[in-house]
Amino acid sequence: MATCPGCALLCDDIEVIVENNMIKETKNACRRGAARIKGCINRLAPSIAQKPSDLESAIRKAAEILRNAKSPMLFGWSNSTCEAQAKGIQLAKKLGAVIDDTSSFCQGLLIEKFLQKKFRTCTLEEVRNNADILVYWGSDAQDSEPRHLSRFSYFPRGESRQRGYEEDRIAIAIDVRESNTAKICKGHFYRIQPKGDREFILALIDALSGKVPAYEPKKILELASILKKAEFGVIFAGIGLTYSIKDDFDILVLLADKIPNFHIMPMVGHYNMRGFNENLFRETGFVNRVKFDGKVVHDNKYSIVEAFQEKSIDALLIVGSDPLSSLPRSLIRHLTSIPVICIDPCVTMTSKIAAVTIPCAASGIESAGTAIRMDGKIIELSKIIGSDYLADEELLTRLMGAL
Amino acid sequence: MVTVMELYQLLPKTNCKICGESTCMAFSVALLGRKKNISDCTPILEENFKKQKEKLESLLLPSAGAGETGMIVHPEICTGCGNCVVACPVDVANDPRGAAIGCAPTNDKVIFRVIDGKVVASNIKECRRFGKNKVLCYACIDPCPTGAIEFV
Amino acid sequence: MGLDVGKFMKNPEYELKITTYRDIFQVEAQERDRFGKDYEKLSACIVMSKNDLAKMGLKSGDRVKVTNNYGSIVVEVKESKRDEPGGVAFMVNSPWSNVLVSDETGGKGIPEFKNITAKISLVKEEITTFESLMESFRKCL
Ligand code: SF4
Ligand code: SF4
Ligand code: SF4
Ligand code: SF4
Repeated sequence: MATCPGCALLCDDIEVIVENNMIKETKNACRRGAARIKGCINRLAPSIAQKPSDLESAIRKAAEILRNAKSPMLFGWSNSTCEAQAKGIQLAKKLGAVIDDTSSFCQGLLIEKFLQKKFRTCTLEEVRNNADILVYWGSDAQDSEPRHLSRFSYFPRGESRQRGYEEDRIAIAIDVRESNTAKICKGHFYRIQPKGDREFILALIDALSGKVPAYEPKKILELASILKKAEFGVIFAGIGLTYSIKDDFDILVLLADKIPNFHIMPMVGHYNMRGFNENLFRETGFVNRVKFDGKVVHDNKYSIVEAFQEKSIDALLIVGSDPLSSLPRSLIRHLTSIPVICIDPCVTMTSKIAAVTIPCAASGIESAGTAIRMDGKIIELSKIIGSDYLADEELLTRLMGAL
Repeated sequence: MVTVMELYQLLPKTNCKICGESTCMAFSVALLGRKKNISDCTPILEENFKKQKEKLESLLLPSAGAGETGMIVHPEICTGCGNCVVACPVDVANDPRGAAIGCAPTNDKVIFRVIDGKVVASNIKECRRFGKNKVLCYACIDPCPTGAIEFV
Repeated sequence: MGLDVGKFMKNPEYELKITTYRDIFQVEAQERDRFGKDYEKLSACIVMSKNDLAKMGLKSGDRVKVTNNYGSIVVEVKESKRDEPGGVAFMVNSPWSNVLVSDETGGKGIPEFKNITAKISLVKEEITTFESLMESFRKCL
């Protein structure tokens, strides 16, 4: 059995058939996972200034860039093992650098609340065994964490849910779009306008407090009465919800207070984003956007987005991420004016403009380690096939040595 | 998803009856239901229908093998989510410690398995829609996010 | 900096709200080859409701230019398979949709990926390729 590093569900029931050290077939992994396990066709090669080099020189050049930088940033991390993340944090300390990860413009805000224990939460196994009301809010699990409904939430039979989805569970979707997940929640889909989540929450709180909500009263009252009946409810909070209420997150806490039988769980895409958040939190008390400046300083200006906005960094090390592809083009002008070092298994848009590229093994496929599932459970990653590529953890160790 | 009309549009439309059906339309229905093969229509085997024949083959290919039960699986639109694996009552009954509780199937008696990220159906004769006590089961159709499973 | 915004558009322009989403088939294509044609095809498109298409005189397969203050791209129109009421169009999260995302973050570090306003109009131009996106980055250098 192998673990799939395709998303933060980290399915550990995958069978992989390997022939001549090549992946021939995967069993049980979804389409997303199968694609991740089979890997990319464009492997990254070591380079300096867009010219081929050897690994040692690339590492030396990367060390030189970081050493000479006044305010370097280390970014990425959600596709790395916990071990590599810990190394990254050490490296940031040593350099007095800023460290941030993709959660900074994703689910970081939400996960921070979990680590601060602001929400009642539970494990996915508890969901499988007990949950009766499931709310997918701003989350299209079917496309982002495709086996979420089949492995844990809606379809499986659980200890106190022997009749499974047919009679024992209700799945609800709240979204701006009738997603694939919403399609499965047939009859329990609540469509909201973009940025309409806040209004919806407030109306729901009213309905739960016995008031007539100001907005779509009939639908909201109906939803409130379903939620009230829950023995073990779960709200799966997706990125749609996080983005929409990012300026006033406490209203989700307020809502959770009104439905004491509910648990909140963050939906996480990248396989070890939560791992980075937990590692940095343990070290600093913050999940991202930290500068090691003799002491720990946390500030929004240490987010990758604001750092680009303010042009405040002068070198960038990226591990397992592609900001050129995932950030607004209006923001990345700064990225193209500073030296960038890319550590990645694959060629990315960012690596195409990088000053130094350093190839690594595909983690969870060509190198092992641990990662943290979206609900906080630690999962072992497997080394499915051997390769000549070094793990990102090993590369970071060498990079630190070369400083 | 292939429809009778799509198949019909590709046939010679002469209603010559060589295939044993009374019209090309009837032949389309039989094709979709896997009761006839493309080669039963000998006129379409001729060179000038080559393109149309190839198109027909590609439309019908994904479901080849589903045979008499009429189940058609469209792997090209399947996400491999496994909802059908866990929801099918046959899988639940035959694999209570695997598929039934959301885990990977633990034996070969299940109908649905996910291979290379796409669903593969086997043991189709076990399906509740067939046999002596058949019932109109929708447990693999309703949970599918993309309509990758259908019965004709 | 847009990709040469045409100054004299003869086709009518409509204002549009766009929100981004994720699509498993596009993610699959990205995992395999983020420079490939499959990824481009699954990214460079905009999904619209039947109502909106009728209102704007568009149909599946048309090419449209989507433009705002942050940039401009040409993508393919797809009709939503679902019964959408309209008023909002959908683009899968990708370097294409990212051309249209604002740089205003209010100092909070999170761009408005899911709340985009743009103008849309029918064009004959080719769909914005990956190469031309990459080229527009290099120009920033
Ligand atoms: S759900 Fe996520 S972890 Fe599980 S197989 Fe799919 S991609 Fe991999
Ligand atoms: S043999 Fe072919 S052309 Fe003739 S009736 Fe049958 S389908 Fe039509
Ligand atoms: S129809 Fe029912 S029994 Fe038959 S394969 Fe589908 S879920 Fe299983
Ligand atoms: S439910 Fe549909 S999409 Fe999911 S694995 Fe089964 S056939 Fe594929």
